[in-house]
Amino acid sequence: MFIIKSYKHKKDVNDLFKLRDIKTNVNMWSVLSFVVIVLIILPTLNISLKLLNETSENWPHIKEYLLIDYIINTATIVAFGGAFTMIIGTSLAWLITAFKFPMSKFFKWSLLLPLAVPPYVAGFTYHGILNYTGVIQTFLRNNTNINVNQSLFNIMNHKGAIFILTLVLYPYVFAIVRSFLAKQSADLIENSRVLGKSPMATFFKVVLPISRPAIVGGVSLVILEILNEYGLFNYFGISTFSVAIFRTWFGLSDLDSAIRLAAIVMIMVLMILLLEKLMRGRKRYSYTSSKIRPIQPIELKGIKRILATLYCSVIFGFGFLIPTIQLLHWALLTYREILNVKFLGYLYNSLRVTTIATVIIVVISILIANYARIKENILTKIYTRITILGYSIPGAVIAVAVMIFFIDIDNNTYVIRQAISHNSTRLFLSTSLVMLIFAYVIRFLGIGYNSIESGFDKIGKGYFEASRLLGMSVTKTFFKVDLPMIKPAIISGFILVFIDILKELPLTMILRTFNFHTLATKAYQYANDEMIHQAAISSLLIIFISAAMIFVLNMNMSKGGRKNVYKNK
Amino acid sequence: MYIKISNLNFKYKNADKPTILDFTFNISKGEVVSIFGQSGSGKSTILRLLAGLETPKKGTIEIDDKVMVDDNVFVLPEKRGVGMVFQDYALFPHMTVEENIKFGLTKMSKSEKKIRVDEVLNLVGMKEFKSRYPHELSGGQQQRIALARAIAPKPSLLLLDEPFSNLDADLQWKIRQDLKEILEKAGITSIFVTHDKEDSLAIADKVVVLEKGEIIKIGKANQIFKDN
Ligand SMILES: Nc1ncnc2c1ncn2[C@@H]1O[C@H](COP(=O)(O)OP(=O)(O)OP(=O)(O)O)[C@@H](O)[C@H]1O
Ligand SMILES: [Mg+2]
Repeated sequence: MFIIKSYKHKKDVNDLFKLRDIKTNVNMWSVLSFVVIVLIILPTLNISLKLLNETSENWPHIKEYLLIDYIINTATIVAFGGAFTMIIGTSLAWLITAFKFPMSKFFKWSLLLPLAVPPYVAGFTYHGILNYTGVIQTFLRNNTNINVNQSLFNIMNHKGAIFILTLVLYPYVFAIVRSFLAKQSADLIENSRVLGKSPMATFFKVVLPISRPAIVGGVSLVILEILNEYGLFNYFGISTFSVAIFRTWFGLSDLDSAIRLAAIVMIMVLMILLLEKLMRGRKRYSYTSSKIRPIQPIELKGIKRILATLYCSVIFGFGFLIPTIQLLHWALLTYREILNVKFLGYLYNSLRVTTIATVIIVVISILIANYARIKENILTKIYTRITILGYSIPGAVIAVAVMIFFIDIDNNTYVIRQAISHNSTRLFLSTSLVMLIFAYVIRFLGIGYNSIESGFDKIGKGYFEASRLLGMSVTKTFFKVDLPMIKPAIISGFILVFIDILKELPLTMILRTFNFHTLATKAYQYANDEMIHQAAISSLLIIFISAAMIFVLNMNMSKGGRKNVYKNK
Repeated sequence: MYIKISNLNFKYKNADKPTILDFTFNISKGEVVSIFGQSGSGKSTILRLLAGLETPKKGTIEIDDKVMVDDNVFVLPEKRGVGMVFQDYALFPHMTVEENIKFGLTKMSKSEKKIRVDEVLNLVGMKEFKSRYPHELSGGQQQRIALARAIAPKPSLLLLDEPFSNLDADLQWKIRQDLKEILEKAGITSIFVTHDKEDSLAIADKVVVLEKGEIIKIGKANQIFKDN
């Protein structure tokens, strides 16, 4: 028995290294994918090695006194932010899917708009609305005799941060749960109704349990966003891990401790991802067949109509309308001072780096997604994992990793560059925008990848195989068959990535070159210098560009939904 | 022999049992062969191996004395000159009927392509549908176009995976007759997969009966099916 087994094993090893397999596996797609993947993991490996360095003299102090604070702050906000976004996002998704009420069509897409508002912008805008000189207190002072308790109007604390984050991050849960429910069959709900369950009971007994994977997926995204958040917490003076990493690195110039903090965050992230896997249950997002009868929204009656509209309006108002109107007002006060050639430069910078990084991300996503779909094996599964890993790593951590990586490259290539040209400087890549764009790519690749992978999933492999048998190579097939068919997915991916990079703050702040400003860094800088009004125009531009793109995205998606001709097994 | 398949062995990565076991079989030029077997017996898998969409663990395939696959050689699907009609047709939805058929005619001049498109459309009796899109055609019509597209580049071997499964009974009978005629006219060596005896009896010169990945019978259609 044993002999037979070992003999078989030997044969398998030989099979692994057949000449023909090496020949057929080495092509443009595999080589390029490999190169990209290596580039993505190198900074992380590089920084992991540095964990072995001796600890600095600050570390015992940080560990003893500060670490517990960081943990408690981060955990509290994550817990409450996660819970509130879950409640709001899920309830709105169900409301929009199952019912018709005044303006429900409008809310279907406009409830996504708070995504366009960067948390730090929402943070300083609400601070500006509520503080002593803000509209509310001024109005009360001038028109009534009410003297407000200042502490009630102070938003710059944990509760305020949770409020802000809930308002701008719930769309993640809303979007994912809504698109999940859109794929569910109406039978599910109707059966429950026929069995005599009230709509309420149906929601809690049927809808919630089946949507669990989608809810958990959405909330995990929210949590990762909170861990990533830097601008809001720093502005509010709350020490979370992201803030702490910055302070230790730039305030104390203690890189080794910053790396250690980053490692702790990464452990938290991995725990969250693991928890997500467990909580999703056995079934992942189930792609039910294309021939389902989707849930038809029913008309709400009486007071319920009004309550539904009111609920959506309140969320939309706080999450998008109120901050936008306030910003518009401030913009009117400051546009003469702000709108100048320099400002156009910031706008140009923003659009330029965002576009370059987004295009690179889309191209890499297509490359790896196509390769992974053609060669389904362990290697490509690992590729996929690595590709989406970056999105779970907070910006502050990626910033540390990428910067160290580039400085190391510069130091190690200095001699060579000197030999080629005498006036090369020691720092070369690390003082260029290459570094920033590289970091964007690592951080946001996962978003583009998910979108494009789901595009490939939708069309299946049938057309690809048909094209190969009609004499087209993998590459020709890609351009003639796959590319035209995954266009909607490419557009979605492009937009999602673009919005995220446009409002990105921590990476841009650390990795930008000297005197290089984007709309995001400029808005943040003004706000941080107590010039909130001056921050309005850059903030508004970010919001408007993103909102317009969300609108286009919504059109693109509903078009893709109607056109089901591309469906193949 | 025109097509020589010997000792083919294959297992899907996530399967625990071998899918194809020691498949050995030869076909002469112009023959129409049917692979008959129950669902899951490995019929589609054989076609995929012949087409180069899967790589066998062991065994060789030769077409017209050229090795397509063995331990050292693997000819890519696009270089094999094998045509295939898929179970769900896989007509490119963003191309018209004409564009779909022209797709495989890479080495021809423009005018040659035009002539060839008309030829094959005539063969399947679909000349007037040239500029339609696939979703504007009925199931039977799509099937004919898929056949025309596969025949157009003059493949050395044509594979058909359950060509009748998506059609209703009346249509099946008619298309069966048509297919027989078309294949005879085109004179292409073909293998088609079916789990319907009638199909095999009507069209095939030879039948291979497959069970759990192994050949259990080979012979003339009327001999294989005469006892039951
Ligand atoms: N991609 C795959 N991965 C793993 N197993 C597979 C895969 N495709 C097919 N199989 C298995 O291989 C066996 C043979 O499948 P195949 O599709 O060749 O059967 P078939 O004879 O064509 O069946 P049908 O008549 O239903 O089309 C089946 O047991 C099937 O479950
Ligand atoms: Mg089959």
